Amino acid sequence: MSKKGLTRRQFVKAGLLTGTGAALGVGVLKPTGLWAAPAKIKGPVKVGYQAIMSGTLAGYGEFHKMGVVMAMEEINKAGGIAGVPLEVEFRDSTLKKPQAIQNARYFVDSWGADFLAGVDSSGQALALAPVMAQLGKPLMVTHAATEKLTEIEVYKKGIKEIFRICTPTYQDGNAAAFVAQGLPAKKWATISPKYEYGYTCWNMFKDTLGKLKPGVEFVAESWAPFGTTDFRPHINTILDAKPDGLYSVEWAGELITMIKQANQAGLFKKIKHIMLPVGAAMDVLEGLGAEMPDGVWISGRYFFMFPNDQRNIDWVARFRKRWNHYPAYVSETGYSAMYAYKQAVEAAGSKESNAVIGALEGMKMGSPAGERVFRKQDHQAMYEVPWGLTTTNPKYPFKVMGKQVIIPPSEFFNRPPFEGPNTHPPFKG
Amino acid sequence: MLQSIVHVCLAGLSQGMFIWLVASGLTLIFGVLGVLNFAHGAFYMLGAYFCYTVLASLGDNFWLGLIFGPLFVCAVGYFVERYFLRYVYHLDLPYQLLLTFAFVLIFDDLVKIVWGAGSIGSPTVPGLGGSVSILGRMFPTYSLFIIAVGPLVALGLWAALERTWAGRVIRAASSDREMAAALGAKVPLIFTGVFVFGTWLGALGGGLAVPYVGLLTPGMGEAVIIEAFVVAVIGGLGSLKGAFLGALIIGLLSSFGTRFLPTFDMFLTFILMALVLLWRPQGFFGEASR
Repeated sequence: MSKKGLTRRQFVKAGLLTGTGAALGVGVLKPTGLWAAPAKIKGPVKVGYQAIMSGTLAGYGEFHKMGVVMAMEEINKAGGIAGVPLEVEFRDSTLKKPQAIQNARYFVDSWGADFLAGVDSSGQALALAPVMAQLGKPLMVTHAATEKLTEIEVYKKGIKEIFRICTPTYQDGNAAAFVAQGLPAKKWATISPKYEYGYTCWNMFKDTLGKLKPGVEFVAESWAPFGTTDFRPHINTILDAKPDGLYSVEWAGELITMIKQANQAGLFKKIKHIMLPVGAAMDVLEGLGAEMPDGVWISGRYFFMFPNDQRNIDWVARFRKRWNHYPAYVSETGYSAMYAYKQAVEAAGSKESNAVIGALEGMKMGSPAGERVFRKQDHQAMYEVPWGLTTTNPKYPFKVMGKQVIIPPSEFFNRPPFEGPNTHPPFKG
Repeated sequence: MLQSIVHVCLAGLSQGMFIWLVASGLTLIFGVLGVLNFAHGAFYMLGAYFCYTVLASLGDNFWLGLIFGPLFVCAVGYFVERYFLRYVYHLDLPYQLLLTFAFVLIFDDLVKIVWGAGSIGSPTVPGLGGSVSILGRMFPTYSLFIIAVGPLVALGLWAALERTWAGRVIRAASSDREMAAALGAKVPLIFTGVFVFGTWLGALGGGLAVPYVGLLTPGMGEAVIIEAFVVAVIGGLGSLKGAFLGALIIGLLSSFGTRFLPTFDMFLTFILMALVLLWRPQGFFGEASR
């Protein structure tokens, strides 16, 4: 109701200005630029944030919250966004699609959100895309990783409202293949989640590694349903196939359980090369402590030791002071999502959806994870995340990355138009 | 191949015994009180958390945790039965489900407030933390221990119900509440006792799960309670013998399914449940009508 009134008033104001301008004659008062737009942003900038806050993955919701709340506190202390305060409301997304859609509708229709952010599940992100197009508000995805979101929903179907600030499955599949290319392992196998995310990562890894290193074999796959607590039958399948490399995109608690049970089954003595694309998550490293073997390849969406520059070091110190915790990767993506909106609103001089979307496209921003660029065509943020080998470091009560490898995103991110020659790595020229 | 089959078998057995530990309390409560206790999974979760807290505060002694942890949960169980559940026995099943489900939500959030929302990694059990080589492949000692504990609990329950005076009174109260009360049995007291004991079984299952699953998370009871319900339905609601057999079958089926029929592993359990319900709606050992 009030929104309608506001638009009408703005319309009348703009009309008056134009009218006066016309009456006074061209050159006297030109209703362009700052004049035509409302002089200042009205009211607070409201961001509706949803993440998983119940059930076995509730810890992820807490990590999201820590980053977002810290960003909000810092932004508001420093004068807000273009002079108005930032307001954030959180809702539990669970893992169900209807809940995610209901939350988005609540945020926009009832709470009056200007922007949305969050979302952990790939399935939920895909379900939200058409809803966001309908609601006409931007959604900054901070965790869900399926490449289909940006390749199909944004690029192919043209849903402009969706942006993603975290690395997509390219990090888990393609970049992993670049690292695996340099390893002596010839036979690879996987234990991965029995849903969209697991399948898409393993296929990408197989596809890219097959092209990079002709002759590698993929000898076994075992798919663990969501909620698996006993990985022994899966571990048996893998040991029977006798691979020399194991690739797994198991994540969070299930990854912890899998590593512990693999340890007991002596798997790490039999298989020398292990790749865990989301093994560098803080909950996993802290949950396993000394039980995480040394010499395992891990990555994530951000790791607190990279980049080793002042901005990141300061941020990690501030984060630890505020929360008494090392930042998880979703803490960083949640934090940076708030700053992305701040930068876009200030650049556009408006919080109106189309103006902000326009500002976000191609936007460069500094962040704890390093410099990010939102690719114009598919709205995917490009930035560097390391792959590293686990090592024991007496400074930390958990395993950290020792040797780190950085593959430039331009080399392993699929390229628009995503179909046809030279759109999937390795790229020629 | 033999190596693989033996290991898949052992993994299935340990998984089955583990489900049995949870399903036994659920079945006992249903058999005697006639209440489908949805909160049983929450008691399992509380059992895991209390065991963890006790063992962490008493110098990482797993056995002390396992002895004292479930006792705290028993106190919670007493509170739930005495002040809430008792008032809905005479109401329809949906009311009991609603009440016990409410406790699931309450306990999940309480765990988040008290222990935090994140997962907690658990220590290994001294003496049982290693593995033994069976046919040239390592198998965790702790899983062998679980395979042994399952039948012991079954035997203990059977002896307690069939061979003791208290067991006879419990069986009498469960088959005819009014008649037992008329003969002088204190039915409300018996019900409270059975509920607390069933709670203890669930909490014990949770405590034993700590080293098995390797971590604690809020909501960890939700996946387990579904498996326990399937087992209870297959075995015949209220039948301990049936629950034991059902747990064994489900454990082995899911283990062999994962290894040899991976495409269908998630369906096998439910296909079996559907077939049992068609062929014998009361379950393996259930009575035709209550």
